[in-house]
Amino acid sequence: MKRKTLIAFAAALFAFFLVPVLGAGTASASLTAKANHDHITIDFFYNGSEVSVRGISDPGVELVVKLASADGHQVLKEKGKVGGFLWMNVGSLKLEDVPNLYYLQSTKKPEEILPQAEMDKYCIGYSALCNHVVMSPVKDPADKAKWFGEFISFKETNNMYFNTAGGFKMEDAKDGARPYYMKFKWPYQAPPGDYVATVYAVKDGKVIEQATSKVQVEQVGTVKMLAGMAKNNGALYGIISILSALGAGFGVGLVFGKGGGAH
Amino acid sequence: MHLYLPVALTSINVLIPVGLGLAVGLLSGLFGVGGGFLMTPLLIMFGIPSTVAAATDSNQIVAASTSGTYAHWKVGNVDFKMGLYLLVGGFTGGIAGVQGIKILQAMGNADFVIKMTYVLMLGLVGAYMLIESLYSMKKKTAAVSVEKPATVSSMGRFLASLPLQTRFEKSGVTHSAILPIFFGWVVGVLAAIMGVGGGFLMVPVMVYILRMPMHVVVGTSLFQILFTCIEVTFLQAYTNHSVDFTLAVLLLLGSTIGAQIGAVFGRKLKAEQLKIFLAVIVLAVTVKIIFELTTTPSLLLSLGGGH
Repeated sequence: MKRKTLIAFAAALFAFFLVPVLGAGTASASLTAKANHDHITIDFFYNGSEVSVRGISDPGVELVVKLASADGHQVLKEKGKVGGFLWMNVGSLKLEDVPNLYYLQSTKKPEEILPQAEMDKYCIGYSALCNHVVMSPVKDPADKAKWFGEFISFKETNNMYFNTAGGFKMEDAKDGARPYYMKFKWPYQAPPGDYVATVYAVKDGKVIEQATSKVQVEQVGTVKMLAGMAKNNGALYGIISILSALGAGFGVGLVFGKGGGAH
Repeated sequence: MHLYLPVALTSINVLIPVGLGLAVGLLSGLFGVGGGFLMTPLLIMFGIPSTVAAATDSNQIVAASTSGTYAHWKVGNVDFKMGLYLLVGGFTGGIAGVQGIKILQAMGNADFVIKMTYVLMLGLVGAYMLIESLYSMKKKTAAVSVEKPATVSSMGRFLASLPLQTRFEKSGVTHSAILPIFFGWVVGVLAAIMGVGGGFLMVPVMVYILRMPMHVVVGTSLFQILFTCIEVTFLQAYTNHSVDFTLAVLLLLGSTIGAQIGAVFGRKLKAEQLKIFLAVIVLAVTVKIIFELTTTPSLLLSLGGGH
């Protein structure tokens, strides 16, 4: 119940802050967007959430919604063949300027409505992301494309990357404005931090409007306390963990012992 | 019902860790192994990052081995003297093993050595235990009426000639103190290289080299594992911040009870039966690792940190 109240409150906040920030085209209605929710709280019973975006756009535009974390640095282990038949870790793949979470949903496939240069400019779609990311070690562009494909598979398997077309609910246009609605299933794997939701309005192969807003994911209560203690006071955390385990072991031993487990 | 794990940064159905704890705790109480070689890969399979899986498993083994040691101590199956000698060797061996891993990592072939050590040790230990146990069962059923006079092998004479001979009353054996310390050290080195507690190595050492009775082996192994895992839990929490207390509590809910059931059940089984069961499990894990090593993985990238 408390969680639902928080979600509703966060949705209201998100709706307030997600405003159009750029208008540069011939759209007759400014792009608007409302989303739940800009503050996702992680408590013990958190199992992911949902972020939906609702707003009004010009009837003649296509829409792209991108939800991503800030660019960062990632290191993953590469598997390869050793001795011709054994698969094991053979090295590390380093990626720079890469978001940990990247969700993209559009009314049509980005490559059908935007040229590559425009996709690159706004980092829309996996091909643009591939051009944006710095990877090492890679021998040549083909090698980069191969490992980027593996990276996408890894991220999609872990629910951290998502790219799909469709899934928007469009209502009939009224007075030159068309209401739209879409939603993302927010993964529980997404770590606490700040994320940015961006809605792009696309017309004639150009991004003509966009709106952005910050989405904050934060641990609260006991979850926050435990995570903080594990990180900042490892010795105390370790001692508490050990004493709890010893206590539990003895406790269960005593219970079973009384029950006639020993002879 | 799902619970969020603050350090693993993931959500998990509570029945999964409780069920895993129960199953691995059962094996722990039954065979005197920590079960890390089973639990850590299972946790990774359910989405727990490898570093958190290994560290948290150590934490829950503290609970399971406390529960198991207590159950075995109540029935007089813990040789504390032998356990302490093995611990001395295990601690120093662990330090040496960690240094060895650092050298291998610098040379760039740590992963190959770790995997090969894992496969070879599991395969050899499992196969030897299985063959030996089947052979001794067969020998017993043959019911040889004429007992052969006890013969002392050259290895036996060599071991008896070592200095610092001491009597281990609980186990009913006499050995040089050097022997358990040395083999504890070897197991400590291998356990550190493989990133496991080493119970599945320590049990055969106690049975076949130190010639301890199987039921005392189980209790003494758990006693030794308890202290090893206390050390590992503290170091992991202090240096890597990778112990997930919430996950550990869920695991130990199952493992402490499982260890008790295992200890009770184990007393109803014969030593050979126990050894055969453990050998089969160890060999099954070996086959699984070989399968993983030789089959093209679905993903060619993974998070860093694990083996």
